[in-house]
Amino acid sequence: MIEWLLEPLSEPIVARSLAELALLGLVSGTLGCWIVLAGRSYSAESLAHSMLPGLVGAALLGLPLVLGGAIGLAVGASLIALVGRIKVLSSEIAVSVVITSLFGAGVLLGLAPATPAGLGGILFGDLLAVGFGEIALAAGYAAIVLAILFVLHQGLLATGFDRLNAKALGRSPAQLDLVLALLLAGATLVAVQALGNLLVVAMLIGPAASARLLTQRIGPMMMVAVAIAWVASLAGLYASYHAELAAGAAVTCALVVAFAAALLIRSLRELLASDTRRRSRGAQSRGLRLRSRRA
Amino acid sequence: MFDPFALPFFQRGIVEILMLASVSGLLGVWIVLRGLAFYAHAVGTAAVPGLVLADGLGFSAIFGAFGAALVMAALIALLLRRRSVGGDSATALVLAGALALGVILASDVFGSQGSVDRLLFGSLLAIGTPELILAAVAALAAAVATAIFGPRWLAAGFTDRSGSSDSLLIALIALAAVAALAAVGALLATAILVVPAATTRLIIKRLPLWQLTTAALAAAEGAIGMTLAYQLNVPPGAAIAVLAGIVFALVAIAVLIHQRRPRLAPLALTLLGLSALAVAGCGSDDGGEASSSKITVAATTTQVGDLVREVGGDAVTVKQILTPNSEAHDYEPRPNDVGAVAASKIVFASGLGLDAWSTKLVKESGSEAEVVDLSSGLPVSYATGEGEVHADEKEGEAHADEKEGEAHADEKEAHGHGETDPHWWHDLTNLEAATTEVETALIAADPAAKDQITANADAYRATIKKVDKQIRACLNKVPANERLIVTDHDAFIYFTERYGVTSKGAAFPSTSTQGQASAGEVAALEKLIREAKVNAIFPESSLNPALAERIASDTGASSDYTLYGDTLGAADSPEGTVLGAEAANAKAMVAGMTGGKERCRIEP
Repeated sequence: MIEWLLEPLSEPIVARSLAELALLGLVSGTLGCWIVLAGRSYSAESLAHSMLPGLVGAALLGLPLVLGGAIGLAVGASLIALVGRIKVLSSEIAVSVVITSLFGAGVLLGLAPATPAGLGGILFGDLLAVGFGEIALAAGYAAIVLAILFVLHQGLLATGFDRLNAKALGRSPAQLDLVLALLLAGATLVAVQALGNLLVVAMLIGPAASARLLTQRIGPMMMVAVAIAWVASLAGLYASYHAELAAGAAVTCALVVAFAAALLIRSLRELLASDTRRRSRGAQSRGLRLRSRRA
Repeated sequence: MFDPFALPFFQRGIVEILMLASVSGLLGVWIVLRGLAFYAHAVGTAAVPGLVLADGLGFSAIFGAFGAALVMAALIALLLRRRSVGGDSATALVLAGALALGVILASDVFGSQGSVDRLLFGSLLAIGTPELILAAVAALAAAVATAIFGPRWLAAGFTDRSGSSDSLLIALIALAAVAALAAVGALLATAILVVPAATTRLIIKRLPLWQLTTAALAAAEGAIGMTLAYQLNVPPGAAIAVLAGIVFALVAIAVLIHQRRPRLAPLALTLLGLSALAVAGCGSDDGGEASSSKITVAATTTQVGDLVREVGGDAVTVKQILTPNSEAHDYEPRPNDVGAVAASKIVFASGLGLDAWSTKLVKESGSEAEVVDLSSGLPVSYATGEGEVHADEKEGEAHADEKEGEAHADEKEAHGHGETDPHWWHDLTNLEAATTEVETALIAADPAAKDQITANADAYRATIKKVDKQIRACLNKVPANERLIVTDHDAFIYFTERYGVTSKGAAFPSTSTQGQASAGEVAALEKLIREAKVNAIFPESSLNPALAERIASDTGASSDYTLYGDTLGAADSPEGTVLGAEAANAKAMVAGMTGGKERCRIEP
């Protein structure tokens, strides 16, 4: 049993993947909570697609690919913010319009004969191909994210939960949006080329969405999220090693299973809570209503 | 090029996009009003595991996509009812789970699969009768449901988001997204389902009118996008997405100007007019083609194109469909290819499932071109992944030369065991046989050029023999027990068997971007490389080499050498011909096996 647990970790491929996931877990547990609370999952899922025109453009002009990807992300994020200011459209529609157009443009550009092959493959990075360069980058980025979130914590708290009153307190929700957009774009740039979009999305959203089901307060929520990210990464890598499943997909599945488990725990808790409430309050209005509805 | 409206596949495309436009008008407004854009995007994308399953088990892709989308819709409808779960997080996670399942199915259950990528951006040629029926059903269902439940959806749009009519809306959007798959693709379904409704929302607030304008705008954008896709030879989804994005931007700017400075109304109107122009005015670039007395033939892959050019020489014009570096297995034919085939007398195909799309091309073009499958008369063939020979090698020469006596002579008669590996040209005796087939076919088509073609074919066969000898001499510089290669794509069995090279493992379990390796497989491969003391591993030129490089640096083997497996090099490079690529493969292998100590010269 011990050997079963230790053997994978002695493989450099597994150890490196685990290190990268552990660092990304720190980002996802903290930044992810704000993304989930602010309802930015669509951005998190789609923003990477806005890299495509930048990547193709950089390849055609002979510039470094990272620069192209960064420009693509910056253009995508600022266009989303711009379109999001149109009052009759929700921020979700803004994401849809901007990402669809940019991705379409990227596909068209990518058909130019001079485009090198396999550029789109950058969006499907491979967890097992992670090297020490990527791990150092992830470590640096995790440190930046933790520092910024720590400094801005009070401000984010004020705007994050109550957008209407935030203005009265002298804080603007636009600031929160900007910080989140920038940090999200940075995470996409750092992680997507190494891990692939699918795994990055699952890492950013999964642990935070699960933790939100288990606890209401932001501090514990972040800790639970980081813990979930770490446990799911380990479980996914074990599955990939012992059952020979595709690595990134196995970790993604583990994160989704964690979410399902959190959902189950939450449902059971709600069931128990309503049960005890009914018993203790007896004839109080809520219990009455519940019973009359059942009857 | 000829009139697109006369082509059946283009007519189908226009009919399809007009039906989708009515769906867009009817449902798009609800998507915008109820904040379901992420769901609309996700439900189309989540069809991918359904496509993988359909491909693996061999049932219709459209059923697979529809089934997956329905499961996705049911899960999200359930999760949306729970207040404690953010709808967007739930959507993201259900989508991630579905896609991860697709990757696992593609890499670990079905091994290799192909026809998934093509449905990501849509394709004019992917629209058949089932797709048309599905779009009609989607349009009809959307119309009926809007008539009955429209008022309730409108009321709910401003208050709660639960109730049975909501589940119906969610199911309808799933149906619409699957119907849009063939025309605009999974990743760009929002271009027709969301963007037109968002554009008209900027100007119109009242409901029936909003729906009508949205349908009209979607129809205009769709039809023009389709025409552009045909003329520019691009996937229709991408053309429609860019067009819709431009129109949205112009309308948004016009509205902004109108609100801030009503006095600048003329400018705003100009912009609106411009967006109408962007929709309507699209130049056509018909280039007349000089016709000559030469016969025109089409070739599917880069290798076949090179072979036909060598044999045909000046006597034929060769239209080659694949370009270097494009994947043959999952290529989705584009409109220009139909034109190329329609103008050709013969279509030369590589065969064995590598270019199965060529039959469809011939059918769509309505041409009566003869299809010559070059794999039909191969002297040497191997089953996929096995390494078993079921060959009746005509010439004893192949064996006589193998002095080292590697006993890979387990040549069983393995007919019917699985599929035949399609990379036949890596054995040069096969290339010789194919040369003769091309020669025969070309002479039959153009008897007047017989002398020229025969001379070309004779010269080419002589060169093949010469290069074959040189490659063998080159590889013989390496002792037989050191002739080991590790490559990330198992395409080289014809080469390794012919020249006595042992192939160890493939790091990628599948040949497409959908496939991923597992930690267990890669760890085992690294162990094998260390134990067998392999000097070099060879990432293939058309695959992303990151993982191969990682394995190389872990094991101390070099990954600096590239092999040409599925495709040739760029047209004007030495590797742009079959013989040049095979020579480059031999040189790279020898340099890699010996740590760069042994090099050889091969001159075709």
